[in-house]
Amino acid sequence: MKRVTILLFLFASALHGQEAPTITIRKGETINVGLQTLGGSEGAASTKVLQNDLDLSGWFSISPPERASYIISGSSAGGTLQGQVTDQRGSVVLQKSYSGGPRLAAHRFADDIVETLTGHKGIASSRIAFVSTRSGRKEIYTADYDGANVRQLTHDNSISVAPALAPNGSKLAYTGYQSGYADIYLIDLGSGARSRIIKFPGTNSGAAFSPNGGQIACTLSKDGNPELYVIGAGGGGARRLTSTRGVESSPTWSPDGSQIIYSSDERGSPQLFRIGAGGGSGQLIPTGHNYCTEPSWSPDGRRVAFTARTGGFSIAVKDLQSGATNLVASGEDPVWGADSRHIIFSSGSSLVLLDVPTGRSVPIVTGLGKVTEPSWSR
Amino acid sequence: MKKLLTFGVMILLAATFDACKKKGTGPYAGIEGDYVSGTPLPDRIEGANFFGSNVTRGQFSPVYFAYDSSAISDSESGKIQRVASAMKSMSNTLIIAGFTDERGTEEYNRGLGEKRAQAVRDALISQGVSGGRIQTVSFGEEMPADPGGGESAWAMNRRAEFGVVK
Repeated sequence: MKRVTILLFLFASALHGQEAPTITIRKGETINVGLQTLGGSEGAASTKVLQNDLDLSGWFSISPPERASYIISGSSAGGTLQGQVTDQRGSVVLQKSYSGGPRLAAHRFADDIVETLTGHKGIASSRIAFVSTRSGRKEIYTADYDGANVRQLTHDNSISVAPALAPNGSKLAYTGYQSGYADIYLIDLGSGARSRIIKFPGTNSGAAFSPNGGQIACTLSKDGNPELYVIGAGGGGARRLTSTRGVESSPTWSPDGSQIIYSSDERGSPQLFRIGAGGGSGQLIPTGHNYCTEPSWSPDGRRVAFTARTGGFSIAVKDLQSGATNLVASGEDPVWGADSRHIIFSSGSSLVLLDVPTGRSVPIVTGLGKVTEPSWSR
Repeated sequence: MKKLLTFGVMILLAATFDACKKKGTGPYAGIEGDYVSGTPLPDRIEGANFFGSNVTRGQFSPVYFAYDSSAISDSESGKIQRVASAMKSMSNTLIIAGFTDERGTEEYNRGLGEKRAQAVRDALISQGVSGGRIQTVSFGEEMPADPGGGESAWAMNRRAEFGVVK
């Protein structure tokens, strides 16, 4: 009893004895923004999308107006969104009109907010492509980055895999087996037109668009061994980059299109290598892991994400400047978003949106059987 | 003295030979200077694919592979000899399909399956079968022979299968 009294006394003294320290709660380095529900007939729908985009972006904390550094407001009706951002003094920092319907207009506004307030590119208007077994066969699907608007793109009733969106989202290449062989097909996403563009003898797979969309890097086995090639985006002019005894796979381009990182098992187990897009010899990228595949080069050029076998599989991120490699999640096949901050990867039964700096992960596609091999437009 | 000189010259030659190999000249020098010879694939046969009705599967035993490997083990090489012999007494072309178990990542497995098919093709070529008669395709981890999990199922899936075009 005596002990409890003393404790209580001490506690009370602590409370009254000194000024309570100011506790600053920092959620990473987020910017506090106030979001006013948008007006107009589509205001509620747009606000919901906008709030989710701002939240997922990782840059903001949605706060009451008195604590906000910026206030977001506007209205949405008839497919057009009028958006505005003002600072604490009421000065307008962004005022613009966005089209495309309540969803897409909100995504575009969100991206503009990200760019205006942080200087970074937004991911809200981007699209993803992936493989799903929902229909009983592997087919290619597309969706918005937040998992909305899922659409089945192929109905090949065969094996359709390895989708690759062009960075601007206008076209998609994929590996299809309709001919009985692995060939690369190109779909113009605007018109829907499809053609088989790469159909050399043997296996053609792993298409990856260069940053300006003008070239495709891929694996071809036509010369007797699976090697890395660069081909014009229409399918012409195949140029071989590698000549090794091993399997080269999963090329990913540097942001300026001058280099390619890929996986090769030339040394036994698959490792990451870097090679000039014009040719040369591949240089090993040490990662500390002995099975590294499916690399993705971040748009800012600083990091490469990849799948590492660690018992199961993990998403690993190597900082190309510092050399450090960290495991950031369990899963496979990472792809970077335009902000060089988020990664989408496959956990098998879902696609997951990962905010790398905070580790926050959000499933964005679920309930479609096995979902794998995500690609992400920028 | 003469013996020493001859010996010395031999050492010198051997060293030069070794150095030449390591340097890796020509347009096909690989990462560590290995010269790689792959036999290019012939054009595909019009209208013939591995699962088509004009291709006979199962005539020859599949060749099986160790985990993460495309090397043909001694115990499997007899199968290739039998295929090579059969090829010499017929004019048909062959499609070799390569497969993996489910454990690797998808795109790498497509490449590994292809490497297995091409390793078998190379072995047939070295036994006198013309490379112009042999196509390859990889299905990666698709269409397992045994869809179950575990070591024995996986061992059945790491394979190259033969399809004889009618």
